[in-house]
Amino acid sequence: TALRPGRALPAAPGPCARRGCGELAGLRAMGFSQEQARRLLALQPRLGPEHREAAAAQLLLLGLSAEAALALLERSPALLRLPAERLRERAEELRRLGLDGGRLQRAASRCPLLFHVPRKRLEAAVRLLRERCLFTAEQLREVLGTCPAVLLEEPRTLHHQFQYAYFRMGVQQKEMVKARLFQMPFAELRSRHIFLERRGLYETPHKGQTQTSNPKLKDILQLPEKDFLASLAYSTPEEFEVFKKLLAREEEEKEEEEDVDALY
Amino acid sequence: PHKATTAPRIPSTRLALHHFDTSYGLHLGALWPSVRAALLCEQKYGALLNNFAAADHVPRELELLNATDFVSEAPQKAQQWQRGAAVGEAATGCQEDSGESRTGLQAEMVTQAEMAPPLCTSKIKCYTFPRGDITRFRPARPDALGFLDYYLMDAASLLPVLALDVQPDDFVLDLCAAPGGKTLALLQTGFCGYLAANDVSASRTKRLYHILHSYVPKEVRDTVSVTSYDGRDWDQVKGGTFHKVLVDVPCTTDRHSAMEEENNIFHKRRTKERQMLPMLQLQLLMAGILAARPGGAVVYSTCSLSPLQNECVVERALDVAGAHFNISVHVEALSHFRTLFQDTFSFFSDCRLGELVLPHLTANFGPMYFCKLRRM
Ligand SMILES: C[S@@+](CC[C@H](N)C(=O)[O-])C[C@H]1O[C@@H](n2cnc3c(N)ncnc32)[C@H](O)[C@@H]1O
Repeated sequence: TALRPGRALPAAPGPCARRGCGELAGLRAMGFSQEQARRLLALQPRLGPEHREAAAAQLLLLGLSAEAALALLERSPALLRLPAERLRERAEELRRLGLDGGRLQRAASRCPLLFHVPRKRLEAAVRLLRERCLFTAEQLREVLGTCPAVLLEEPRTLHHQFQYAYFRMGVQQKEMVKARLFQMPFAELRSRHIFLERRGLYETPHKGQTQTSNPKLKDILQLPEKDFLASLAYSTPEEFEVFKKLLAREEEEKEEEEDVDALY
Repeated sequence: PHKATTAPRIPSTRLALHHFDTSYGLHLGALWPSVRAALLCEQKYGALLNNFAAADHVPRELELLNATDFVSEAPQKAQQWQRGAAVGEAATGCQEDSGESRTGLQAEMVTQAEMAPPLCTSKIKCYTFPRGDITRFRPARPDALGFLDYYLMDAASLLPVLALDVQPDDFVLDLCAAPGGKTLALLQTGFCGYLAANDVSASRTKRLYHILHSYVPKEVRDTVSVTSYDGRDWDQVKGGTFHKVLVDVPCTTDRHSAMEEENNIFHKRRTKERQMLPMLQLQLLMAGILAARPGGAVVYSTCSLSPLQNECVVERALDVAGAHFNISVHVEALSHFRTLFQDTFSFFSDCRLGELVLPHLTANFGPMYFCKLRRM
């Protein structure tokens, strides 16, 4: 419910110059410039002044600059409605997971949803990464630092992507972390990998042996599509476009088939 | 370590791919990855219109979906390209000496003359979706009399038939005809005076009968004689009588072998049979040459990329025809096909003899090799 736009509160009176002045001063005192404070006041105008200040204060406590905190709130004004206590606790949890200092700030600005999702969801993602995917604590820190959004994922989705990289592509945890595996949407990763595989440029591992001649996961994931095609796949955008369409259709029809099988 | 009897069998498709990687990697070089990916993805079809069905509405229906008849549009497109090229040549020709540009112009007239006839006379219509379009055709539908409106096939399979260039009242032999896609296309020309459709496999000739009954009215079927001889013995039956002979031989069917376990010729059990293919192909082509009358044309075709099954078989046949039968056979250039159909198919530009359509993701037809011979 935290994400829902404000319920109908008793209609606040129109912009009250007096009230605005008081709030403005409060925000100025926290380090926002006049202009920044005005922008901040324009967000969620029906919010009580204490609440706004408390929320903004929590963000500043994460170490965000006034401008960064404001930018974050402008992108995600719903944060202002969360109880300040909740923001504080969540920041604490994220720190415990290894997101300290700059990483926490980056994670917060990159995915404000981290403050909204229920704690259970975070814990499930972390458990999965540690216990099923067997990332070390250090690797987990690295994963969270580079792709904090994993904490928002369904554990099933994460597991699927991990298993794909591990078994289908024969990549070890260490390399996954380096390559920032979870930064690319799974469908895109699969398209790139299967494209290489069908072109004869990626060998599927047998019995757990990793093929050393395969391109690095890091390159597959991090190269912009143009460079991926030119330097890894030796192909053209036209071919890859058609391939992605065909692969999507294959997957769709495979699922339909499985659904039919499941009926019997 | 000893080999257990339970050792997991390597899938035939993997054996096939491994074989292809080794041999085609060398033969096609940098083109191979692209061909390989295409072989492993869904192939494209063409819809061969059935001129014997009451299906006047079908072209309109297909055109609304953006499909076009690649046979009839080819000459128009080719003329446009040539005009474009001629303008380009004339422009550069101004700076060079005039002799050069004249040769360019002459070459253009020759190619135009060359490519006009086979297609003007053709009544064959085959619809395909444009490059990069992965739309599928609906299944064929029967007309009021029960004849199906079109036949779905690899559009590249039509090229050997077009290359044969059937003329009115020609006697035509289709030596390896089943299941009958090309036989049906030959009948669509409306020109076959007589058509002998042969295939050694009884079960596959049943499918040929089935196609004839689904697409062709009785009076036309009556001009077709279906037989089940071993094609290698054909000359003992009717030598030297046909104007046109199609020899569409059994081969490694590369696309099938890369994708399907069932009936895969790369199965360990079939190694011997696979190794004997070029020999069988040579014998069938020889029988085809002997079945043609002097002046008659033979088209040899496979759906493999293998030069051993393609160019090499043709070259051996030319030798054998001369050395053992004292028959002179010429290879007829089909390079104009490459110009005509460049929009629809990806052709291999380095074929020693004949033409080869390479599968490509944006035009996923073939592989199809075809080579035209003339018995002198
Ligand atoms: C590539 S398929 C022909 C496809 C057919 N032309 C079509 O377009 O539908 C090759 C055929 O050759 C036949 N065949 C194999 N050995 C043969 C032989 N010795 N004589 C005649 N036909 C043979 C097979 O039964 C098979 O149907």
